[in-house]
Amino acid sequence: MSTNKCKQITAWLHKAVCGRFCLDTDWIQNHIANCPRCRRRLSAIGKVDLTLSIIKSQPHKLDLLMRANTQAIGVLRHSLRQAPKARKLKTCLPEPNLLERWGKYAHTTANVTACIAILLLMKIGAFSSMDKFQTEGKKIIKQYYASHIGKDLTDDIFPNDMGQFT
Amino acid sequence: MQSKAASYGLIWSFVVAETVAESQRWILSAMQKHGQELVTMLWRILGDEQDVCDAYQDTFLKLAHYKGGQKPEHINAYIFRTASNVAVSMLRQRVAEKKRLSTAIVTLKDICSPAGDLDSKYLQETLRCRIAQLPEHLRDVITLRDFAELSYAQISRILGISAATAKVYRCKAMQLLAVWMKKEIQKR
Repeated sequence: MSTNKCKQITAWLHKAVCGRFCLDTDWIQNHIANCPRCRRRLSAIGKVDLTLSIIKSQPHKLDLLMRANTQAIGVLRHSLRQAPKARKLKTCLPEPNLLERWGKYAHTTANVTACIAILLLMKIGAFSSMDKFQTEGKKIIKQYYASHIGKDLTDDIFPNDMGQFT
Repeated sequence: MQSKAASYGLIWSFVVAETVAESQRWILSAMQKHGQELVTMLWRILGDEQDVCDAYQDTFLKLAHYKGGQKPEHINAYIFRTASNVAVSMLRQRVAEKKRLSTAIVTLKDICSPAGDLDSKYLQETLRCRIAQLPEHLRDVITLRDFAELSYAQISRILGISAATAKVYRCKAMQLLAVWMKKEIQKR
């Protein structure tokens, strides 16, 4: 219980601190604009970030995993080298993870979901309107009959809806 | 008689070795499960395909010989830490070799980009060298977070520290790298 509370408080504090000290906050931006020391520091960190991004963006050859597996399996024991899994590993190519694999369909899925939602809403709207029109129509007819042939006969004609329209 | 005993001994050792190997199938499973991530991490640390293959081989060789062929309790932690250490050792050797041959990592002649300090090759090599010089606890976090792209939760499990500590270490590592990189660029 107390651990949960601690976690909650930590999360709140983190949120509050992030809200106050986030780099995008106005007062920090104003300070950076007027403080050459902070600017230098941030630009140096930015350069490291940029270099890390460049390193991450460098692609390797597609068969690197295959070659690495082959080389590594080559130094393992004989029965491991002969295992069917080893043979499979020697020919395996890198596969995109699930997020990357399905990521390209995200836009389409979102569009289809939005269309289905709109259709459902339209259908619900149309049905509820039709229901409303029907009820109103019956009410008017009942009132018409009531005014012309009397309430008793009207109740006989519309027995089920007696309470509904009054 | 003696030769007979020797041959029995050989057969026995062969049988023992094969039995150990049979029980080491988990190495192949680990290779299948973490191979791709490991190769990506090693490629980013080393930037050379042959070095990547060598480091990868070294990692799995160490895994196979861990405590006489036993399975480590946390395989992924063992693999990632070993691979990172092997790669950094190789990087250090590479730097030392280049220094010994009295050539700069990337000589000024190599830098022909008009963008000056934004020359990507120079920056990449400098950063790699600097990461190799970081204290171990900071280096581990940087390699696992930025090169292996693991989450802080995964890093905390691998290194046995809290996620918050990992974040602090990364921040410190970034500050240190920024200072070193700045000095390096000013030297040029």
